[in-house]
Amino acid sequence: MTDASLDGRSIPREDAYAHAARILGAAHFPLVAGLGADVAGARAAILLAERLRGAFDHLASRDALADLDVLRSSSMFVTTPNEARLRSDFILLVGAGLSSYWPAMFDRLALHEPPRFGAQSRRRALWIGPKRGEAHIDGVDIDTIAAASHELPGVLAALRARVGGRPVALGDAATKKLDAHASAMKAAQFGVAVWAAENLDALTIEMLCGLVADLNAATRFTGVPIGARSGATGVVQASGWMTGFPPRTGFGRGYPEHDTWRFDARRLVDSNEADAALWISAYDGEPPPWRRADLPLVTLAAAGAKADGRGVFITVGCPGRDHDAVDFAQETSSLVLRKASAPSKLPSVADAIGAIGARFSEDVPC
Amino acid sequence: MLTCLRGGHVVDPANGVDGVRDVYFEDGRVVAATAGRKPDAEYNAAGHIVMAGAIDIHSHIAGGGVNTARLLLPETHRGHRPRPSGAPLSTAGWSTFETGRLYAQMGYTTVIEPAISAHHALHAHLELADIPIIDKGFLTVLGNDDFLLQALRRRESPAAVADYVAATLEATRALGVKCVNAGGAEAFKENVRSFALDDVVPQYGLSSRQIFQTLQQAVVATKIRHPLHLHMNNLGLPGNVETALATIDASQGLPLHLAHVQFYSYGKEGKNGFSSAAAQFAEKIAANKNVTVDVGQVMFADIVTISSDVLRQYNSLGAARPKKGVIFDGDHNGAGVLPYSYRVSDFFNAVQWAAGLELFLLIDDPTRVFFTTDHPNGAPFTTYPEVFALLMSADMRAQWLSRLPAEVLELTNLPSIKREYTFYEIATMTRAAPAHLYGFEDRGQLGPGAVADVAVYKLQSNRAGMFRNAAYVFKDGELVVRDGVVERYSFGKTLRVRPEYDRAIDQRLDAYYDDLYGLPRSLFEVSDAALPRSYAFAEVACRS
Ligand SMILES: [Zn+2]
Repeated sequence: MTDASLDGRSIPREDAYAHAARILGAAHFPLVAGLGADVAGARAAILLAERLRGAFDHLASRDALADLDVLRSSSMFVTTPNEARLRSDFILLVGAGLSSYWPAMFDRLALHEPPRFGAQSRRRALWIGPKRGEAHIDGVDIDTIAAASHELPGVLAALRARVGGRPVALGDAATKKLDAHASAMKAAQFGVAVWAAENLDALTIEMLCGLVADLNAATRFTGVPIGARSGATGVVQASGWMTGFPPRTGFGRGYPEHDTWRFDARRLVDSNEADAALWISAYDGEPPPWRRADLPLVTLAAAGAKADGRGVFITVGCPGRDHDAVDFAQETSSLVLRKASAPSKLPSVADAIGAIGARFSEDVPC
Repeated sequence: MLTCLRGGHVVDPANGVDGVRDVYFEDGRVVAATAGRKPDAEYNAAGHIVMAGAIDIHSHIAGGGVNTARLLLPETHRGHRPRPSGAPLSTAGWSTFETGRLYAQMGYTTVIEPAISAHHALHAHLELADIPIIDKGFLTVLGNDDFLLQALRRRESPAAVADYVAATLEATRALGVKCVNAGGAEAFKENVRSFALDDVVPQYGLSSRQIFQTLQQAVVATKIRHPLHLHMNNLGLPGNVETALATIDASQGLPLHLAHVQFYSYGKEGKNGFSSAAAQFAEKIAANKNVTVDVGQVMFADIVTISSDVLRQYNSLGAARPKKGVIFDGDHNGAGVLPYSYRVSDFFNAVQWAAGLELFLLIDDPTRVFFTTDHPNGAPFTTYPEVFALLMSADMRAQWLSRLPAEVLELTNLPSIKREYTFYEIATMTRAAPAHLYGFEDRGQLGPGAVADVAVYKLQSNRAGMFRNAAYVFKDGELVVRDGVVERYSFGKTLRVRPEYDRAIDQRLDAYYDDLYGLPRSLFEVSDAALPRSYAFAEVACRS
């Protein structure tokens, strides 16, 4: 059993690298997608996309770009989970299933303990739009506002209006309830909003960030975004310093151009603009989102990924498990080193891309 | 391989040289003239000015704040041309790769990033690792950290504070310490909206003055070479020269570097209540030899302000151009990133521009005034050639002054200042003095043994053109730039200090992190395993 295959047949890994180099080297506009990788893997992948004059995208770009959209158009207040843990006296949770996007969230925020800095009073929490039965944390008083996901912008807009003392088109009882929440938020000394872009659209996030900004007129309020899956936040950071832009960036003209529509991986494949792809999913082997079956494909994925038997498949290590890796830590809001928890001989994404890159024919520039 | 730069006008203030002579280097180091040995490579430098590679002492080139700015402003840094072969991403607008290329083309070979949060040190190193050609390093920001403030509140010994500072430098692999609006970021978390020198941080009962003075002493005690690098209170506010003067009075006669002082040289005169107080400030600086400053010159351009002075950045949110920005309450620190545009027609911006030049021109001693635009806060570093030209030409300044709003001319002394910088003074300010400020024995000069980082400029009357595109730049003795174009794409080193300290503080800090965060302190430390294998450090020795 080898860790590599070609059209479903096991082949030596070295052969797989050579096949991958042929596929990607021959393409006119190759796509580097998925990008579920640590920082070193993302770095190698982006340099590869540039070298081949292709494009790159991350599998969770939609989510990462929902936050970035707001950042790029208005103001955003953010803090670290550490500060939320140590200082917040009010937590505003927005959207359903937050702890599925960040399983360690409630452990890390330790809301049941009094804050160490600032107000040092018992914390209050408001959860807008939780799943049924989800809004329960031992030792914390949680208020809730029921809202389906499409209702969130409206609820947030109404809250924002009441925080600012503006009228809302609601009945007296509903307005009174809203006012109680608005007063509680205004009474907080250091409030923190928590959201996951994976579950929200940019409009909701913009409304939430606007609410947070408004609250700062009189008190302190800030936010903790939960980063998108498969290393997206770290990849966005590396992409930012390397190219100036987040993923969905192309190098067709020899310099980076960022366009969230044009360089969407699924669109590039399904429109036939990309004529080969490198799919990277080292954390969990998530498959590509596109339909097209005849695309020449190289896959670098975690062991156990469901290879659908097409193209070159190379098993790579999971960052932080099979090998040491730097990626974005949700618990610290920073890039950290994850020491390998179960070191193995599997190549990292960066190793695999290095091996592929070393096998390009001479007409691929360096 | 022995290389000779033949017949150039060598300007090397550290060695008192200002005249035509040959410069030799071999194996990456400058060597004395070698009688009887024929050089393996020779460059005709006749008609050229030869200087050591320039050193930028304060330029925001890496780290979370800079990267946030990139992501915040995609519209401002589109690339326009393909990169040359062998130089990946070197034309990607505002990328780390472009940063190294653009600096090298101007003859800069060492650049210091001045403001990295301790908990984001790894991120900064990863960005520095992707900046080609130049050597680099960073300052770690302290002064709003709970561990320090608690230690001060408990009146712990100066030795304990110095150990903490040294341990933080070791963990972050930094070159020195910056303190930003001491206590201000912590106070802002407590909803304080203005914070001056004698204001007190809630909960801790410590004034900004006490915090910066303690850090100043601690930095001296660690024996690192760079003095405390201080971003004072009240940045940008009318009348804030009073803060600057009071800070100098509070400086205890100990070494102190004041950052981007242009932003603190404002009076309250005129109908707008805003004027240049640069003359008063320059006099004070001249009289206090323990103080060094860098200017933070403003130029008329679209910029973005990246600052750990989160309180100040919050207060500027409404003035952002365009209206957007990020306000970050970090662990023991903060940051704000806001776009802005300095306009020649804007009264306030014009006063700022004039005040910066006044400071350059009124401070007689080029060893104590440093050349910065606080990139990108005052102007992008790519405007340096124009700033050099302005310093070297009273005529050029007069031309620029004629474009300013008329009322500005009455609120600055700039029109009456005829001083023109010489090449020797430029080289002092950008080479010899920065090396001294950071304790670099091996650079900023061309004496035997120095690193062969050399910039060669073709002498021309267009000073900006001359400094924009160096004729030759050598890094570690290798030709990296010819006629303003990068020819060789190498990677430099990261400079750091490793002061000695009592390791008992590490155990205390480990326990502190366990207790406060429930996270291991090692999660925040920079380790070799986290860095690319090719990433190389060079140690800057402490005072013995
Ligand atoms: Zn600065």
